[in-house]
Amino acid sequence: MKTKYILIFLLVAGVTSLFSSCKKSFLEVEPIGLELESNYYNTPEQVFNGLVAAYSNMSSETDYGINWYANKLAPLNAAADECYAGGGGESDMASYQVWDNYTLTAADGPQSKFWDMDYSGIYRCNLMLQKLQNDIPGLGTDLKNRYIAECKALRAYYYFELIRLFKNIPLFTDPVPTDAIYDQVQAKPEDVFALIEKDLKEAEPVLPPTVPSTENGRLTKGAAQAMLGKVILWQNNTARMLEAADWFNKVNTSGIYQLLANYPDIFSPAYKYNKESILEIGHSGSQQAWWGTGDYRGNIYSTMVGPRSYSAGPGADSDHTYYSGWSFNPIIKSFATSIHDDPRYKYTVADLDSLKKLGQADYMPGYKNTGLFIQKYAPLLKWKAAVGEPVLNWPNNVIEIRLADTYLMEAEALVRGGGSTARAQALLDAVRDRVKLPSKPATLDNIYEERRLELATEGHRWFDLVRTGKAATVLAFKGFVAGKHELLPIPLNDLNNTKLVQNPLY
Amino acid sequence: MAGFLLLGFSSAIAQKTSVYSGVVTNDKGETLPGATVIVKGTTVGSTTDLNGKFVFNYEKANATLVVSFIGSETQELQAVGGVPVNVSLKFAAVNLSEVVVVGYGTQKKSVVTGSIASVKAADLENLPVPRLEDALKGRTSGVTVASSSGMPGAASTISIRGVTSINGSSPLYVVDGVPVYEGSIDFLNQSDIESIEVLKDAASAAIYGTQAAAGVILVTTKKGKAGDMQVNYSGYYGVQNREKKINLCNATEYATLRNEASLLGGGGILFPNPQALDTGTDWQDVIFSQNAPVMNHEFSISGGKDKSTYYASFGYFGQQGIVAPSITNFNRYTVRLNSTHQVKKWLNFGNNISYSHTKSQSGTSANDYYGGLLASAINLDPITPLVITDLDVLAQEPYASHLQSIVRDADGNAYGISKYVGQEMTNPEAYIKTQEGNFGWGDNIVGNVFFEVMPVKGLTLRSSLGGKMSYWGHESYSPIYFLSNTNSNLDHNSFQRELAKALDWTFTNTATYTRLFGDHNVTLLLGTEGQDRSGGNGIGVTYIGIPVNNFDQANMNYSLTADNRPGWGYDYQPYRLSSIFGRLNYEYKEKYLFTGILRRDGSSHFGSNNVFGLFPSASFGWIASNEDFWPKNDIVNLLKLRFGYGVNGNDNLPAFRYTSTIGSIGGYVFGNDQIYTGYGPQAPANPDLRWEQTSQLNFGIDATLFKYFGFVLEFFKKNTKDMLLTVKLPGYVGASGSPYGNIASMENKGVEAELTYRRTFDKLNLNLKGNMAYIKNKITDIGVNDFLVNATMIASTYEVSRKVVGQPINVFYGFVTDGVFQTQDEINAYVNSEGKKIQPDAVPGDFKWKDTDGDGSITDKDRDYTGNPIPPLTYGLTANVGYGPFDLLVFAQGVYGNKIFQQLRRLDILTANYMNEALGRWTGPGTSNDYPRLLDGANNNFTRPSDFYLEDGAYFRIKTLQVGYALPKKLAKQIGMENARIYVSGNNLFTMTKYTGYDPEIGGGQGIFSIDRGVYPQARSFMCGVNVTF
Repeated sequence: MKTKYILIFLLVAGVTSLFSSCKKSFLEVEPIGLELESNYYNTPEQVFNGLVAAYSNMSSETDYGINWYANKLAPLNAAADECYAGGGGESDMASYQVWDNYTLTAADGPQSKFWDMDYSGIYRCNLMLQKLQNDIPGLGTDLKNRYIAECKALRAYYYFELIRLFKNIPLFTDPVPTDAIYDQVQAKPEDVFALIEKDLKEAEPVLPPTVPSTENGRLTKGAAQAMLGKVILWQNNTARMLEAADWFNKVNTSGIYQLLANYPDIFSPAYKYNKESILEIGHSGSQQAWWGTGDYRGNIYSTMVGPRSYSAGPGADSDHTYYSGWSFNPIIKSFATSIHDDPRYKYTVADLDSLKKLGQADYMPGYKNTGLFIQKYAPLLKWKAAVGEPVLNWPNNVIEIRLADTYLMEAEALVRGGGSTARAQALLDAVRDRVKLPSKPATLDNIYEERRLELATEGHRWFDLVRTGKAATVLAFKGFVAGKHELLPIPLNDLNNTKLVQNPLY
Repeated sequence: MAGFLLLGFSSAIAQKTSVYSGVVTNDKGETLPGATVIVKGTTVGSTTDLNGKFVFNYEKANATLVVSFIGSETQELQAVGGVPVNVSLKFAAVNLSEVVVVGYGTQKKSVVTGSIASVKAADLENLPVPRLEDALKGRTSGVTVASSSGMPGAASTISIRGVTSINGSSPLYVVDGVPVYEGSIDFLNQSDIESIEVLKDAASAAIYGTQAAAGVILVTTKKGKAGDMQVNYSGYYGVQNREKKINLCNATEYATLRNEASLLGGGGILFPNPQALDTGTDWQDVIFSQNAPVMNHEFSISGGKDKSTYYASFGYFGQQGIVAPSITNFNRYTVRLNSTHQVKKWLNFGNNISYSHTKSQSGTSANDYYGGLLASAINLDPITPLVITDLDVLAQEPYASHLQSIVRDADGNAYGISKYVGQEMTNPEAYIKTQEGNFGWGDNIVGNVFFEVMPVKGLTLRSSLGGKMSYWGHESYSPIYFLSNTNSNLDHNSFQRELAKALDWTFTNTATYTRLFGDHNVTLLLGTEGQDRSGGNGIGVTYIGIPVNNFDQANMNYSLTADNRPGWGYDYQPYRLSSIFGRLNYEYKEKYLFTGILRRDGSSHFGSNNVFGLFPSASFGWIASNEDFWPKNDIVNLLKLRFGYGVNGNDNLPAFRYTSTIGSIGGYVFGNDQIYTGYGPQAPANPDLRWEQTSQLNFGIDATLFKYFGFVLEFFKKNTKDMLLTVKLPGYVGASGSPYGNIASMENKGVEAELTYRRTFDKLNLNLKGNMAYIKNKITDIGVNDFLVNATMIASTYEVSRKVVGQPINVFYGFVTDGVFQTQDEINAYVNSEGKKIQPDAVPGDFKWKDTDGDGSITDKDRDYTGNPIPPLTYGLTANVGYGPFDLLVFAQGVYGNKIFQQLRRLDILTANYMNEALGRWTGPGTSNDYPRLLDGANNNFTRPSDFYLEDGAYFRIKTLQVGYALPKKLAKQIGMENARIYVSGNNLFTMTKYTGYDPEIGGGQGIFSIDRGVYPQARSFMCGVNVTF
């Protein structure tokens, strides 16, 4: 019987000890490999990680299946008179197709991706600006101020994209409090512009004029100045044109930037962050991404614009030897014809049909095939990634603002604001002279025409058409309705349960 | 044969008295715990223990014993002291002798006050189904089991008394006292199951307060019985085929329709001579296999002496799929050892341990229109040939430039690649070839060891340590292939392996005290339980470009550079629960019954404000027919009323959602190729997260009528509040992820009825059961949201279904059609109150949309609620008929009242094949009033979610039809067997439904419940089986 009592004792002891282990402490567990927000942003490294996240939204290569493969070029080019949406079929990437043929609705279109990516960027900037008000051990004042300036400039960048596409948007300078999420309303556009300009003006003096090559892609003083000029120009206020010109002038005369002698070098991965580049979105060919790994940092837009089922023939040179893609954004014939005689044509348009005739290429026509593909970001075989799924790892960067653009914008602002015509003429001539074209009078029409030729398929055309009021005429053939299609519809998800109001006519 | 007992003790006992002992069984030979044995005319006696044994002392050497059990005929017999007796009691129609498992203990079914459904081994033995859930389908009212797919090894979607919560309605599985979490019940060999109890109401389930909100399924595995060793073999072999084929267009019909759509859309003729294309390729015939085998073999050995019993089993189950069996199949090997030992009179020790190994291939999506075999077979054009034999074709694109990577059949012929249908759709046979090297596997050790101490009479202390040790992983091999422009792997093969493991443990300590105070029978249970589910992790690696050509040869013994073998790993976040609980059962003369339960659970999923949840319940029962005033009659033999109320909880959310955690949220490239990872908050925090609560009211009537009819009627009302949901925030918040909140409430009201009829006429043995449940589900609150979006359309962002107050969960939501415009006049006549055309852009042949909000134009606001995806009415019928050595089983079940969203055709691929219904499209006035014109180009006839896609989901299905023959005992003995039975069985022989897809049963989680995107259908199977005992 002794054993009986010993066992009972042990059991009772076991039960009692468990009761005590059932206390709260048993349930207080620590996360594995996850930092808590309350403890984060406390070291220089953590703050830098937050800054990276704030930059991250400038390019939005996301995972398979989200219907948003690449940067914003694909939908913007599809919307303009330069390209069709293209792709594999009439509803391949339906969100591009409906901007191409202007059948956008709240539910259909690319708007939610622009909206979500930009607001996500704004949130990250707002959060960083909040956190950077704290004392962060080990983070020097200069660096801290630079981070603050970068976050402000980034916030301005995201808001500028939103206001151009949607006009009527809610405005936040802090993370939206949880209990006020559904109470937000759209701000007056002028208030948004005011914040954008304020942010840029505060950032501009602090941002470094240049960065070491390892920091290429970080925002600089020149980028902020160029953005400021663009923001003012966009508002179409004649009285402020010289103000805009002045900002562009600061960039154009800084001595930091210069036009590259050889036009196609601007877009070549061999010349990333070249002298002409003011604001550039970085991509990498060495991420070794595979389908499903997510957060792609290669340039998938290159894959998108590549010809389908491509094979090279004998005699194809390395600038015209491609890797198979998905045939998005075929260049519209009439557009190609209109720039055909320009020296920049062959660097802008990949004429696969001509190559096919020469036996140097074969490919399968995609939807709305024109035989003409985008050359500036084409997936050239020579840039194919050595490791990883090739279609996800193109190294091609996208330059958002380059010197030729700021030259032409300064010229435009000078002409519109009654500034120096000589200066405007010199700027236009410089852009033309680079490609060995003779001088043309610096009239507004000639400047706009030069923009069309110089910046074709670089994502500026649709915005240019809208801000110059030409969109309704030029894009009528695609179904553009004046008074409606200058803006994208507010995404359906943001109308659900909120106080937001849809844009007119949607 | 049953062995006994305790004879050894009798000599030691005082000589003045005699020992009376024995075993009480029912007429089937099953032992009866709780039977009363008394000496006639005295109060001396005892009740039988869990094994049906009784033993007591009486002063006389001879006695007349009166043996009774509720529901049985009382029996008297002469006994001699010291000589054990066997007593077999005869039962009326409804067997009330059952003991049911109630969680941390058992209870005599007759005194149960909650709503507990019980399925016994006898009901399962003859049911050749692969999974536990299948065994429950249609068996018991209020338990809805919908196959998520016919994929071998696929879990079914099971819900008890309707959808309990928006965030999941999977019940808690407890196997031999060890909680086992959803999706992982497939380790169980269902031949090992002794009983399954379903705790349906909150009053019963409250003892498992945590996660019991959606009900609890208690599984008890077989134990050995004292006696001679029994060896049992049971097995079956069967073949499976598809039940039906979808009516798709053939090549000529397809070409005709495509031509028409192209012409109407402003394009040209695509196929100049459709007739020449003939019927083309039938892709369904390509993917469906014939006579796919399914088999099960099980050996078990059980037996023991009175102090130790054992049950050991070895099982194998193998099933090949009816779709592409080389990449859809499932194999399971199981071993089980259960044993109990009476070490001392006051000390028991035992264990239930099982090991299982599963290996499965699920090479295609079960219900997904983004590729997979079914989607490809449905959407591919019938023009593309299966294989290309024409060399001229091979010289063209896309073949010409991919001669090395196109997939070929055994004869070296290239598989055809569609020129018309692209995106994710590929030649299914070629696709199969690329998937053959992929499989998943799992090794599970599940079980517990326990010991019980009985220090004083009536008190049992029990301590049980249970756990589940799982190892699982997958291997996949991707060859170099070119399936289409968007589906290719042209550069390197890759070979991937992932390994994961997890240990969940549960430590349970209970004290149970039972005592009879006069006529007051009281049982008190107190217990504590700790659970930890933290210990999981996994690693994986991919080898890229190994020098092999086939998955058979793939291995990791190649040295590759680090770049070519990327790897990854992960750790589970910790998750712990701790609980204390108590239960009081009270019974007075089997007339008045009461059960009260209180459980307090703590979960690490909640922040310090709300760690603990308290879950009480109370239930009452009154057995009116046991009252003295109840007149003896032959109409109502038994009448019992039950009433209960209880609260259960749910902590179903990921770890650390009460706080804001930092994670990788997107990187950026600086410099040349320097990729930096960005970190930030993963989702806004919600520190006030608390337990989701489900309260349920239950009222039940049990009756036995006319001796042979059993009748159960139950009413319940279940309210779920504070549901833990992620909130899809407006995009302008900019959060990287969605936060959780306690936001919504839901109500389920229902009636359940069961009717049984059991009677024996000479050689004929009838056992008929029917059950039915009607459940009304309604969302009563959804927080600040007007609604939550469920599944969306593929060609637009319109939702197909939503969660909205006042409607059943995930109600279908869309535009409402009102026929097809036949003429321009009809369009002109469709005007609003101002005389303006409601659909000014319509063309004859387009849908006429109902202007449901009456605003004079068709807008998003004209969408309406168009149907319930979840069947409100479910029913099951079982007939067991025995005649001499023959037996017949018919089991049928069905549902009524739901709609299915049939979206088999990929709307965003204009060139996708059509179902035959498209042949009846509108082509001119009077041709069709329900199928609009076909055209390539902008129109919303098809891209809008509408009632056009909804079909009646009702069905009635003969699940099982089985005829068996049992060898007469004498004959069996002559060939050395105790029992022998052979049977032939058919599953899914017949389905009555109007639904046009493969299978009206479309489970698979709430998000896609009753949304058909090409569901892998269930097989029709024929099997023959043997069951022998030696």
